[in-house]
Amino acid sequence: MALGSTHQHPATPLPLLPSSGKNFKISKDFICRWELNPFVQLAHRPTDGWAENSLSGSIMLDTRDLSKVYGRGKQRFEAVQQVSLTLRQGEVLAFLGPNGAGKTTTIKMIAGLVRPTQGQVTVAGEDPHRQPRALRHIGAVLEGNRNLYWRLTPEENLEYFGVLRQVPRKVAHRRGLELLARFGLEEKRQTPVQKLSRGMQQKVAIAVALIHNPKLLLLDEPTLGLDVEASEMVKALVRQIAQEGRAVLLTTHQLDVAEELSDRVAIIRRGRIIAEQSTEALLREFSSSTYHLEVEGDLSPQQIHTVTQLGATVQGRQITYAGPPETLYKLLGALSPVPLVSVQRDRADLTQVFLKLVNDQPDVSP
Amino acid sequence: MIDLLHAELKRTWIQFIRYPTEVISGIVIIIAVFYGLFASAQYIAGPGFAFGDRLDAVVIGYALWSLIISVNNDIAINLQIEAETGTLEQVFLSPFGAPRVFLARAFASLALRLVILVVVVLLLMGLSGSRLAFPPILLLPLASLLLGGYGLAFLMGAAALVFKRVQQVLGIFQFLLLFLLAAPLEESTGLMQYLRFLLPMLPSTGLLRDLMARGLRLDWLTYGLALLNGMVYFALGLLVFRWAEATAKQRGSLSGY
Repeated sequence: MALGSTHQHPATPLPLLPSSGKNFKISKDFICRWELNPFVQLAHRPTDGWAENSLSGSIMLDTRDLSKVYGRGKQRFEAVQQVSLTLRQGEVLAFLGPNGAGKTTTIKMIAGLVRPTQGQVTVAGEDPHRQPRALRHIGAVLEGNRNLYWRLTPEENLEYFGVLRQVPRKVAHRRGLELLARFGLEEKRQTPVQKLSRGMQQKVAIAVALIHNPKLLLLDEPTLGLDVEASEMVKALVRQIAQEGRAVLLTTHQLDVAEELSDRVAIIRRGRIIAEQSTEALLREFSSSTYHLEVEGDLSPQQIHTVTQLGATVQGRQITYAGPPETLYKLLGALSPVPLVSVQRDRADLTQVFLKLVNDQPDVSP
Repeated sequence: MIDLLHAELKRTWIQFIRYPTEVISGIVIIIAVFYGLFASAQYIAGPGFAFGDRLDAVVIGYALWSLIISVNNDIAINLQIEAETGTLEQVFLSPFGAPRVFLARAFASLALRLVILVVVVLLLMGLSGSRLAFPPILLLPLASLLLGGYGLAFLMGAAALVFKRVQQVLGIFQFLLLFLLAAPLEESTGLMQYLRFLLPMLPSTGLLRDLMARGLRLDWLTYGLALLNGMVYFALGLLVFRWAEATAKQRGSLSGY
């Protein structure tokens, strides 16, 4: 299933590269970001091979047929219907959906803040609705909430919430200082939170969510309202957090953020999951197999002939090829020794996939 | 749990000390209202009228009223504020469970409020010329009074969790409290002298008046009943609060306001 558009994604995985589990995709915008922030390179979303490897990680979150019904009779409203999700150690799941689709309700059911009408939640083997101990495994930054005491400083917030999450006071204090150092907030540790910038407040909120070393981190719109720089910082932190082996469930309306960060995507619409698979597979499924090549010099008439024979079209220094990936190697061979400038595959981005799925799905009546 | 209590004390103290003008203005308002009442009563009674130990009883009643109002509103108001500012759900994410967290908060705010109460009582005594006795044994009826007071505070907190907007109820409740705390029903005869043991906090306030204003010794039987009264209201408050938490989670309205 390919989309009509020819969006050229900068992070196109080339078939030229062997798909070893340790290969990272390199893209122009990635290189630019790396120059701005070296963190990005360390934790850039790896290829499918890595995602497959992560399947061996233990299950941190398991929801089975979660449903939430509000009201009765004519007022009855099914906010969430039979949502089943699994999230493993070190995995980032982007939980996407339009406004009112049931994302926040699902997150709050996972966190034990909203009781499901049906279904079960297990976090690291414990049910937060039956065993309050299970909450030790959960860290959350909830959307629309400050999540912090604004009159307290970051240091005081971290110590307070650490104790609230059953971390011994001294440990909470020490860990709080470590997190502030790691998040680059040392200088602001004694400034009341209300005097910090929005980006810093969000970083403190994420630090607070990590103070008790949770296995599952729930991030509801973590980059909402942040400027570009702050947004990049938060994204880098999310990658680091996942690399530490925590499972991260992320909701966002910024689909580029979801695409960059997630290993898997689940899309919810009107309370039902309509798609759930690895981000790569989903993007591939919605991408066409058209390649655009650019060469630096002019092709000889013989080369143009061979390339055309292989099914490509040539327009000056631009070559377009739509065919099996194996033939692409023959085509590249035919271009030798003319230097290559770029090889790009038409690729759908998550925004296109999301809109296609959300708009094309027929209404599912219960 | 000790760490939690310490953390709540620290949080309460920091929030108090960082913006002390709010608390100071609160104390000034309490004193001003009392002085207004006191001056009006003196004007109506005439300059020759001596209040005697009744004045002391009024001072105790008023000071306790101001303490219990703050205790009583404490949980409900804070729940509402935290729902509005967006910290409430983080509190409910605590593995301690909400009742224990709010209990620790109650103790922490109580410690602060008792300090404020001492300031208020000393100022009231200075203004009115009342001379109150402070025998250490008065801590016992004060404890039973606070148990009942916090029981009502949890009931109000439960109402805030379920119904959200409770300012109107809290406003009306203050006048009911004035009756419960300031009316000397321990002097009443007939059925009321028994019924008063069923009403929240009333037996404890009577004992406090006995000890502080009338110079009487503690009546242990009455105290036993006052303590039982406090414990029953406290347990009831916690029970209803748990129910309210479950109801709010069921309705998905924990963070609503």
